[in-house]
Parts: sequence; C-alpha cells; structure tokens
Amino acid sequence: MGSNASIMLQQEDLQNICQQTGFTTKQVQRLYSRFKTLDKRDCGFLTREDLLCIPEVNINPLGERLIDVIMNDYGENNKINFKQFIFLLAKFRHGKVKASTTEFNTRECKLRFLFDMYDRNHDMKIDRNELLEVLKMMVGGNIHEEQIATIADHTISELDKDGDKSITFEEFCKTLERIDADDKMSMKFLS
Amino acid sequence: MLQVKRFNRLYHYWSSWSLKQRVTFAVQLFAILGILCLPVISIAALVLTLAVLNMTLGIRRFYVKVLTFLFDYATKIKKDKEIAIEADFVSMGPSTPHSELHFADSSIDSAIELSPLDAMKKEDDAAQSSRISRASSQSDIQFRFSDILDYTRQGLEAIVDDEVTKRFTSADEMAVWNLLTRTQQQHELFSLRVTILWFLGFLIRYFILFPFRLCLFFLAMFWMMGAILFLKYLPISKGKLRFGFYINIVLHRILSRVFSAIITFHNTEHRAKCGSICVANHTSPIDVIILSTDNGFSMIGQKHGGFFGLVQRSLSQTANHIWFERSETKDRHMVAEKMREHIKNPTNLPILIFPEGTCINNTSVMMFKKGCFEIDEAPIYPVAIKYDNRFGDAFWNSSKHQLVQYLILMMTSWAIVVDVYYLPPMRIQPNELSTDFARRVKAAIAKQGGFVDLEWDGGLKRSLPKADFREEEQRKFYEMLKTE
Repeated sequence: MGSNASIMLQQEDLQNICQQTGFTTKQVQRLYSRFKTLDKRDCGFLTREDLLCIPEVNINPLGERLIDVIMNDYGENNKINFKQFIFLLAKFRHGKVKASTTEFNTRECKLRFLFDMYDRNHDMKIDRNELLEVLKMMVGGNIHEEQIATIADHTISELDKDGDKSITFEEFCKTLERIDADDKMSMKFLS
Repeated sequence: MLQVKRFNRLYHYWSSWSLKQRVTFAVQLFAILGILCLPVISIAALVLTLAVLNMTLGIRRFYVKVLTFLFDYATKIKKDKEIAIEADFVSMGPSTPHSELHFADSSIDSAIELSPLDAMKKEDDAAQSSRISRASSQSDIQFRFSDILDYTRQGLEAIVDDEVTKRFTSADEMAVWNLLTRTQQQHELFSLRVTILWFLGFLIRYFILFPFRLCLFFLAMFWMMGAILFLKYLPISKGKLRFGFYINIVLHRILSRVFSAIITFHNTEHRAKCGSICVANHTSPIDVIILSTDNGFSMIGQKHGGFFGLVQRSLSQTANHIWFERSETKDRHMVAEKMREHIKNPTNLPILIFPEGTCINNTSVMMFKKGCFEIDEAPIYPVAIKYDNRFGDAFWNSSKHQLVQYLILMMTSWAIVVDVYYLPPMRIQPNELSTDFARRVKAAIAKQGGFVDLEWDGGLKRSLPKADFREEEQRKFYEMLKTE
C-alpha cells in the first residue's frame, strides 16, 4: 500500500533537474507524476509497450517511429528512466525568451529530433529508403507503392543540392526554416 | 482425563442446585451478557429503525463538517511549509525561469466531446493556411519533410498528457489534503502537527470506525438472512414483490451506513419507474448500493458461482433480476429479448445498467455501449453520480486492488460523499441510430455531473485501440495531401 519509496523524487535530484533543464519544480513534479502513471508495473522505467498503451500514441501513424526514436536514442535496452525521460522532454520547452533557453531546447536540438525521426541509421543523411519508410507509415494503404516512390524521389530532388540523392542535416534545416519549426515543435508544460 | 474429571465435578455441582438457583444463575448470566452487548445491540437497533423509517440523525453530515475543518487546517500548514521550501530553493541556485507560460489547470471540465479523431485535428487548420497550395490530382501529390511535424508533436504531447490514461487511475492530487496517505502522490510528513493529526486519523479510522462499520455490515447480513427466510415462507405471491422492494431498500440503507455514505438525491421527480431502463456512469461497485437506497432496481448480469452466486440467488428472492449463463452473454439478441420480456411486465422494477462497462474515475464519462439503447419500448432514465473525493476516493482501480481489498479501503476511508442527479427520461427518436442516442444520453449525463465527455472506449483500460483508428488517421493525412 502506498508509493514505492525507492523511486520517489529526492530533493537534490529535483533541484539538479530544474537547474539543468530549466523546468520549474512544479512542472518536474507533474511530469514525475505522469511518469509514474505510465509506469504501471512500478519498476522505475518505461518500455515500448508502456508508451504504446497510450491510445492517442497508438493511433498516431508515427507513434511507433516516435517511440523508436525515444527508446533507442534516449533510453537503453528498451527502457527509459525518469532522468532520461525528462531530459528528452526538456528539448521541447519553448525557447523564444532568452531566459528560458538552456543547452537542451535550442532550435537546433528540436530540428535534430525531427531529423532523427527519419534518419534511423544515424549516418547524418536521409536517404531514399528512410524517406520511403516514413511515407509508408503516414499514408498506409492509401497510395500505391510506385506512387510513393515517385513522391519520395520528387521530395528529395527538390532539396538535394549536391546531387547525392540524400538530404544532409543542413539541407534539412534550410527547408524547415520557412515554417518556424522551432515554435511548432515546442510544447506547453503545465505546472 | 483431567477434562472429564472437571466436567464431572461441574455437573455434580450443577445438579445440586435447586431450580430456583438455576434460574437465578441463568438470568444473571444473560443480564451480564446483555449489558456488555447493549451498546452494540442498541446501536444496531437504532440503525435498523433509521433505515426502515428513512430518517437520519444528521451525525454523518456533522462529522463531515468537522473533517472539512480539519483538512483545511492541515492544508494550511502544508502550504506554509511549501512556501518556506520554495523560498529556500529560489535563493539557492540560479533563478527558475518565470517566463514559462502558465496555464490554468487542465482539468477544467467542459461538455465538449473529445473523440479519438478530434485528438489529431488540433493544429491542422493553422498548418494548412501556411502551406503553398499543391495540385489536387493524385499524380501531383507532394510530400514535404515538415509534414511529420504535427504528428510528432502530437505524439509527444500525448506522452506528456493524454485524455484516456488518466481516467483509469485515481484523480490527481487535490487542493486540500485529506489526511489519507493513500491519496497524496508525493507526500512527506513534513510537520509534526500534521504527522500527529495523520496518526490520530489513522487510529480512528482503523480501530474505531472500521470495527463499527464491520458490525453494521453483519447487521445487514442478518437482515438479509431474516428477510430471505421470511419471504420464503410467505404464502401470498402478490405481496411478495412489495415486501421485497422495501426489504431491498432497507438493506441498502444499512449498507450505505457501512461506508458512511452521505447521499444527496436531486430531482427525485425523475426517479426511474417500473418498466424502464436506468442508466448511470460507473465509478465503483458501491454505485449500486447508493442508487438502491432510494429506488428498487433489477440487476442484469452473469450468473456466478460460489459466494457471489449465493448473493445473486438470495437477491432473486426479493425481486426479479435477470441473470445469464456465461455462454449467453455473448448473444446480444438473447440479452435484448430477455430485457424486453422483463420490461413488458408492469410490476417488474427498472433495469439498472452501466453502459460504460467498466469503472472510470469519476472525472469523465466514456463511450456508452449501444446494447441497451436499442430497446425502444422502454424510456431511458439517465442518472449522474458524482463523488466528492475529499473524504474518500470511491474509484475502484481493478488492476491495482482486488474487490475485497477495495472494500476494506472504502471502510477505512473517512466517508463517501456523493451527489446523485436524476435526469428526465429520454426516448430514442424515430430516425435516430442507437449509437447517436447513446451519445445523446452520455452528453446529458456529462453535462449534469460536470464530467468530460469522451468518445473513447472504457475497454482501453485493458486493451489497445483497434487498428481501424490508425488507418483512419492515415486516410486523413492522405486526404490532406491531396487537397492542399
């Protein structure tokens, strides 16, 4: 009965996290509460299945890909603990005001996360196959394979400056500059 | 050997007494026992009388007032401590950014319906206006790298907070702490005064209230057994149902005292009548007890074995309930048929149904299963049940607690304070689908009780969403690509 004492948030940890990530104490506590709700088996970490249980993530076409990125890049062995969880979320704080920017939520961090959604082999390039995978996830059975391939080729050729049939991070950032990706990828954290 | 000797001696002693001595002895013995048990017996008699006459001494309401005062006091101490800690923290390290956007608590209940498909729609409109227009024929569909933006962000937002997961756990921390360590998510007993209060509360709840409530529970059981015997040997069958009705109500009134339930009924002119279906939101097994203190209902459900089966059979003596074999529950036609038969008989009590199918934590209503809404012969009487969490959280989290554990938790809480709102009867319109009718009833209940109206299925507590939903999302994305 009652909460598991070993994974309660210690005061020191709390202060450390606040300083590094820029969250307020209330926000961290709220996120900690959320982490514990998702951690149904009360073991101190989340797995893929825990995150896939969230219905809104489950029905999201990119839900599984998002969880892949989270688990592989921010957790280890299909586990993510609270520290990793909150450092991940720190990336998505609004960075508009000078005082609220830390090393974690810069514009580049956010764009990098989006880039990683495509680039799963971490070669710093989005090639045709990676783009194809994402496209398939998003449109499902609504478009034929050949057509998807055409669309993918077209998208790459539009942006590919050096003709190597893949998009580098710089080219990626350039195309996202137009649409204020920074603001769109920021989330409101309640306190 | 020694025992037999002792027994012989006692017997010898007893037979040497005259009749007068024996009678005096017996009377003395019973008198002593009576005096010892007197408080228990008199309280039991008092409770029984109150239950039968439907009166209340107002003790429970007074008790709740005292508790409210105590909780405010404890919270004040906590807030003072918190401000002290914040002040320390701020003066220590670099300033925490106060330029963060602060939003009002997200748990503002609104009657806006949130469906799974709406969840994805949030910022599509804004995004669309800033897009460069694309050709409308399929061959010219273009995909931009930025198209993953919205879905990615929505996925992250859902991980941070989603509408569904939080409905299956006890509601978040309250503004006022109610001296129950089981509710406070992150509690530290940081002040001596509060710790003492909590400890006193613990003693009172477990060693005074709990035994008292347990006695009342046994009283209820005795009442039930007595009533069953009475009804079994009652010759007239017409009066049987009338007696059964009152016996049921008295039983549930005693049971409501077992949980120290303080129930307020609103709009009693819309109490469910015979030959109708009563529909309510489901938070806990206690819902049945609460509703039954004011009206008699026919239950509908699966036949169980063991103890629960015995309960079912004894309840069946007091009224006509609808019990199914396990195999029949899947057959929706048969269920509907049995319900129709039941409704046709004008002396049958209204059928009580919880269309959500599972317990939800009383902050929202989830999808109503359309089964009982297909029966157009009977009007539907909706009921909204709203619990006040301050005195005890009535939500049954079946993945966390077994039923018996849950009942013990309830019996060691302070009290159960509940508002029951009867709503005017609703009937299905001529051209209305049963799913739309179900939705209409759900919206009415949500509005009355101040719940969030969700279209998500309560079954998501234990299972994943169907693949159809994701395919629907993919289709929507495709449509958007085409038309922009």
